[in-house]
Parts: sequence; structure tokens; C-alpha cells
Amino acid sequence: MGIIYIMLIISLLIALFFLLIFMWATKTGQFDDDYTPSVRILFDDENNDQQTNQTNNGNSEV
Amino acid sequence: MKEVLLCDHCGDEILNRNVYTYKTKSFCCNGCMTVYQLLVDNQLGTFYQLEEKSGIRPKNVQEHKYDFLEVDEIRSKLIDFEDENYIKITLFLPEIHCSSCIYLLENLPKILPAVTSCQVAFVQREALITFRKNELKLSELAKFLNKIGYAPNFGNRKEESKKFDKVFFYKLGVAGFAFGSIMLWSFPEYLGIEKQDDNLRNFTSYLSFFVSVPVLLFSARDYFISAYKAVRSRNLNLDVPITLGIIALYAQSVYTILTNGGPGYMDSFAGFIFFLLIGKWFQNRTYKSLSFERDYTSYFPVAVTRLTDGKEEIVEIEKINAGEILLIRNEEVIPCDSVLESDSAKIDYSFVTGESDPVYKYKGDFIYAGGKLLGQKITLKADKPSSRSLLTQLWNDIKIDKLKPNRYKFQDVVSKYFLACVLVIAALASIAWMFIDPKRIPEIVVAVLIVACPCALALSSPFTYGNIMKAMGRKGLYLKNTAVIERMDEVTDIVFDKTGTLTESVHLHVRQTGDELTKEEKEMLCSLANSSTHPLSRAIVHFFRTQNIYGNLDLSDFLERVGLGLSGDYLETKITLGSHLFIYGEKTISNETETYFKIGDKSGKFIFHSELRAGIKQLIGNLKGYNIHVLSGDKDKDRELMESLVGNKANIRFNQSPKDKLDYVLELQAQGKKVLMVGDGLNDSGALGISDVGIAVSEDVFRFTPSSDAIIQAGRLHELNTFLGLSHYAKKVLRICLTFSLTYNLIGLSFATTGSLTPLVAAIIMPVSSVTVVGLSTVLVLLKRI
Repeated sequence: MGIIYIMLIISLLIALFFLLIFMWATKTGQFDDDYTPSVRILFDDENNDQQTNQTNNGNSEV
Repeated sequence: MKEVLLCDHCGDEILNRNVYTYKTKSFCCNGCMTVYQLLVDNQLGTFYQLEEKSGIRPKNVQEHKYDFLEVDEIRSKLIDFEDENYIKITLFLPEIHCSSCIYLLENLPKILPAVTSCQVAFVQREALITFRKNELKLSELAKFLNKIGYAPNFGNRKEESKKFDKVFFYKLGVAGFAFGSIMLWSFPEYLGIEKQDDNLRNFTSYLSFFVSVPVLLFSARDYFISAYKAVRSRNLNLDVPITLGIIALYAQSVYTILTNGGPGYMDSFAGFIFFLLIGKWFQNRTYKSLSFERDYTSYFPVAVTRLTDGKEEIVEIEKINAGEILLIRNEEVIPCDSVLESDSAKIDYSFVTGESDPVYKYKGDFIYAGGKLLGQKITLKADKPSSRSLLTQLWNDIKIDKLKPNRYKFQDVVSKYFLACVLVIAALASIAWMFIDPKRIPEIVVAVLIVACPCALALSSPFTYGNIMKAMGRKGLYLKNTAVIERMDEVTDIVFDKTGTLTESVHLHVRQTGDELTKEEKEMLCSLANSSTHPLSRAIVHFFRTQNIYGNLDLSDFLERVGLGLSGDYLETKITLGSHLFIYGEKTISNETETYFKIGDKSGKFIFHSELRAGIKQLIGNLKGYNIHVLSGDKDKDRELMESLVGNKANIRFNQSPKDKLDYVLELQAQGKKVLMVGDGLNDSGALGISDVGIAVSEDVFRFTPSSDAIIQAGRLHELNTFLGLSHYAKKVLRICLTFSLTYNLIGLSFATTGSLTPLVAAIIMPVSSVTVVGLSTVLVLLKRI
């Protein structure tokens, strides 16, 4: 039965870990804006495409 | 027939005869075309594919508009961070409205290489911009943003206690963490297998105790403080029974743990706090990008040009002293009460007084702060510092915010009776137990206090009102906080401002009198009006458009005299359009807004009337149960229109100063009436602030609005009765939720008074009651929407 004490401690540590993650996320503003990133991710894709196209072009010229 | 041509940038109809074209695209103005070229040249054409009508027509930039940004004192207040190379600044760009805007702004570095990054926060309508300060000045950046349509707003936006927000979320996190952990450790207890291993039981009990300490000291703090204040001021609110319950719960649990009797009610305790904080979070949610607290400082400019010995110098508006000479340019706001030094000036006071026609002032005249200069630049001599102007006095006189806290009155009233009942029940139960088993009396009393903790009761108001607030927001009414709904429910009298509220400030109703005109003559007149951008000319063009006259003739000898009128020739016919002074060489006095015309030997005039907003007539009809009042800062030129609308003449007042409006509302309140005020300008701000519910009308909710309890989109004003109906419905939902939560309390009390309350029963009743109440209020509000 000794194992259950270790399990309890571990459960506490895991919960504490999540609490700290939550606090860190709040502090760094992860919850401040829940809309813009969802739009931004679409632009990034397109820009990357352009960039890869450009680098491909560059390579073919070389 | 001419087909309607739309601008390829802003999507508006192109009214001018001069269509700007670039490649195959056509634009309404040079500004739109410039932005299009700029975007296409920088490979940002995607902007137009992302969303329809994404472009914003840029306004003309005044040459010196952003010069104040180069004054170090002012700049250092605005920027977030600065070192030798970089400046970081958060700009409020109210024009941000769609994903194309995000695309454009975040690609700013492609257009302006000096900008290293630009990150948009859409909900807040803000952009965090970092740029190299040696290559680009802040004023140039502002000017550029203005040029592409996103004019930055430098009004004093108060940092709305973001820090407090975060601390609140820490509290919520800690409570949630403790709730989850303790519940997990209490499982053996729930299942009845705890007695097999005393060591394990004690271990989990002490673990729970250890975790619950921060919940008590940190998460639950606000309740203790609020209850303490309430008791001290002898004004009981719901926080008192809550605190009583929390203390009873905690004390009982600690006692059980220390006497090795198991974890007690620690799970319920942490759960209570967790749910209560969620309720509070719901109660305090607001519209992040809207500001309800703006005072005059955000309407006035940040800085103004001062003339010292003929030298121009930009100074902060607070630093102006009486007697100093100020230079005001076109479209700038007069920052303080002052005396005119220039020969004449035309000033638009519509936002301050509600008077829609501009006012002419001459040398030596006294000018009140708040007006907007139209036309040539002028010099003024300041008479008082800005903070002591007549307009700002209005704000300083009334400290409104303290009168309207974000608390629920109904809930606090209920809680008084609730507390009394709980105490009576506890007393009765202890008397009864005196005869059964006197030793168990303390335990019974504590159990009663625990189970009567009004958690569900405390959740019903924030969730019901929070859901209603969201529903209203979707329909275009944005509330400052949820407590406004409760006050809306009690309204008996509705006071409307006229200009800009009941009537539209943009669209004018035009009537033509005088000689009958032929179609060709109308075409000529329309062509003349079409050459000018004056609002009255535009109204005339719209008027002719309804008669299928477009005014596409080429006029010769076209002449526009600012503030007077227009003239031009078509073949042999001379056409003139303008004021009586311009056409006939002498002034007339009239209550109406008029423009005279002469075409060949025919003459006549156009009379302009304000037009009611769409749906206002039906709205007034739908508001039968309320007393309607109309206050106007205007001359009584629309008296007939208003009388036909309201009926009761006694309730219509014209020529009302901001102070008069405020007094009118106070008078109604003195008669015991609950007043809802609807207004749009600074002149209504006093009345909006003092009335029970103040609603500001705005064409664009992100623009400047006077401080108020709610902001309504101008296009939704005609649904005001729907919103009032929703507030009544909220009260109904709240009553149902209260009944439910009290029923749960009664069930709990039956356990407590019979001495059979166990941690398990508490752990079931508490969350179940809270979840039902929250679910019930959400579902009932959703049902109403369908």
C-alpha cells in the first residue's frame, strides 16, 4: 500500500505543475486575445508558400 | 440610365463625376487609389481577396496633425519602450474591423521597412508596433497609418486595471487546483472505504488541509473584505451569508481533520470558492475594446500649438495658462474657453450643444471650449486653463461613477431576508436539539450555516444577467456591466436627445420650393451641386438622384466661395446656389436651414429638415408603457416633427443647454421616476451620467462616445423596446433561478436540522445546485433568442 502515498504526492505535483502553467500562461498574456491568432495563422501559411517559392526559384537559377 | 459604380477600395458608391482610375480599377477618391497602388505595388493584393469591402476610405491628413508626437514629454507618455535604436508602441486603431485589416497591418514591415514588427490585437483594436526610430519618426508612422485609413487615436485611454484582472485569474486557478485535488483525495471517503486505513485517511486529510490554506487566504479574500465592509456600514449584502458559510465550513473541517475524523468538508469548501469566483468572472466580463468611462480629456486633443512671440510651439493641453495665444487649424477642437483674435471663425458645436448649424464668431467674441473649427486657421487667446472650461466643469461637478456600483440590488435585498431566515432556522433547530441531544447543538448549528451558504443564489444573478448581456451585445447594445440590466428593468421614463439620436445627423430631408424647373434645369443645378463636397450640396445631389437626375453636365466658370455658395455657367445659362447673402446680397433670418438657387431667371430654395432615423416612429409606438421625453439643444425648427412623434407637448423642450438636460433628469428622479436617457453628444454627458440608465448612440461604437452605461449601434436604436423587454425577461429568469436555489437550500436544511448532513451530501448538493442554476439561466436565455 506504500505506493499510494507516492501516487498521492505525484498527483499533487502534477496538479501544481498545471497550476503553474496556467499562471504562467495568464501572466504572459496567452488569454488576452483569442481571435487574432486564429486569423494570423492563415496568413503565415500563405507567406511561407511565397517564401518557399522564392527560394525554389533561387535554387533553380543557381 | 447610369449604372452604379463602386469604389474598388472602400466599396462605396462613387458619387463624384471625377472617377479615379488605376489600371482597370476605379476609385472614389485619390486617397483610396493611393492605398490601392501602395498595396498592389508591395504584393499585398491579397488584402482585397480576404474579405469584401475591406478597404477604409482614408481621411485627409492635416499636415501638422501629428506634430505633437515629436514633443518628448508627450511621446514618452505614449510609447511602451524606447532605446537608442527602437521604439515600441501600442496604438489604438479604431478602424480595424476585419481579417483583411489584420493582414494589412501585420504586413506593414513590407511597406515601411523601418517597421520591424506589427502585431494586431483584434479584439482590443490595437497594434503593437516596433520600429527603428532613426529611420522613421513616430509622427510619420501615425501619418502613414492615417493615409492607409487607420487613423490612430491618441485619446487618453486609461489602462483598465489589467493587473487586477490577472490576480483574479490566479485566484481562480488556485481555487480550481485545490478543488480538483481535494476531490480526488476524498474519493475513498465518498465510497465509504476510508476506514480501512487510518494512516492513509489522515495523510489525505492533512494534504487537503495544506492545499486549502491558500484558497482561504488568497482566493476567498475578497468575500471576507466585502462582508466586513457590509457589516460595518450596516448594509447587508449577499457576501455576508456567504462568508458565514465559508467560515463555518472551514472551521468545521479543520476541527474534523485535527481530531483525526477525516477530511471534513474541504472539497465542498474549495468547490464553493471555485464556483463563486467563476460567477464573479462572469459578472465582471466586459467589452474589452469599448470604453464607457471616457471623459472630456479623450475628446480634447493631447496637445495644441502655442504662439510665443510669433513662434509656434507644441505644448500639452494641461500646460496652457490663461492669456496665452493659441493657433487652431481646420478640424481641430478648441481646447479651452478663449477669446477670438482672428477676424472671424466658423465653429461646429454640434457635438457639444446639439446645435446642428455651425456658429460664426468674430474678433473679440468669447468662444467656449469643445467646438470644432471649420475652415481657415485662427488664433485665440486662452481665457482659462482647459480643466476649468465650462464644458469640463460639467464633469467635475458630478462624480457619477460612485453612484452606480456593479452590484445587484435585488440579490442584496433577497440576501437580507435569507440571512434572517438562516439565523432563525439555526436557533429553532438548536432549541429542538436541546431536548433530543444537547451535545450535538454546535454541530447542528454549523451544519445549518454550511448548507445554507447561498452559492447557487450568488451564481444566479451573474449568469442570468451575463447571458442577457451577451444576447444584447449580439443585437447591437453593449452594456458597461451586467448590473445595468437590473436598472433597465425598473425604467419608467425615457428621455431622448433629438439631434443625432432621434434624427440622423448625416441624412437630410430636402424640400424644393419656388419656380417649377424643367428636367434640363434640374440637371444643371445638380451638376453644380455635384462639384462641391459641402454637406448641403451632397444632400441636394441625393435629392435629385431620387428623381433619376445625375448631374453629369460640364459647367464652365465654376466658382465655389467657402461658406457662401457656388456658381457656374452651362452654355448661356448662369446657375447660382448658396445662402441668401450670396444670391441676393443681404441676410435673412430664418429658423430653417435653407439654400437658395437661381437658374437663368428662375429662382427658389431648398429647405432641409432633419430626418428621423429609420424605425423611430414604430419604436415610439412600441414604447407605450413609458413616458417619453425629448430634449434638444437645437433651435425649435423640428418642433412639428417632434410633436407628431411624441404627442405630449409638455415633454418636448428645445434650446436645452447641457446643464438644463441634467436638471431635467434630476427633476424626474425627484418625482420618483427611473430615467433612461438616450443621447449621443458631449452635451448629453451630464444627463447620461446622472440618469439611472444612460445609453450613448453611436454610428461606430469604437469612436468617441460620452461616458455612459451602455453604447447602442445607431442602426439598432429602433429595437430599444426589444432590449427593455429582454431586461424584464432577465428578471423573470432570475426569479426562477432563485426559486430553484432556495429549494436546494431547503433540501440541504432538512439534512442539517435532522443531524444527518455528511460531507458526501454536501459534496453532492453544492455542485448540483450550482450547475442547475447556471444551466437553467443559460437555457432560458437561449430559448428567448430563438
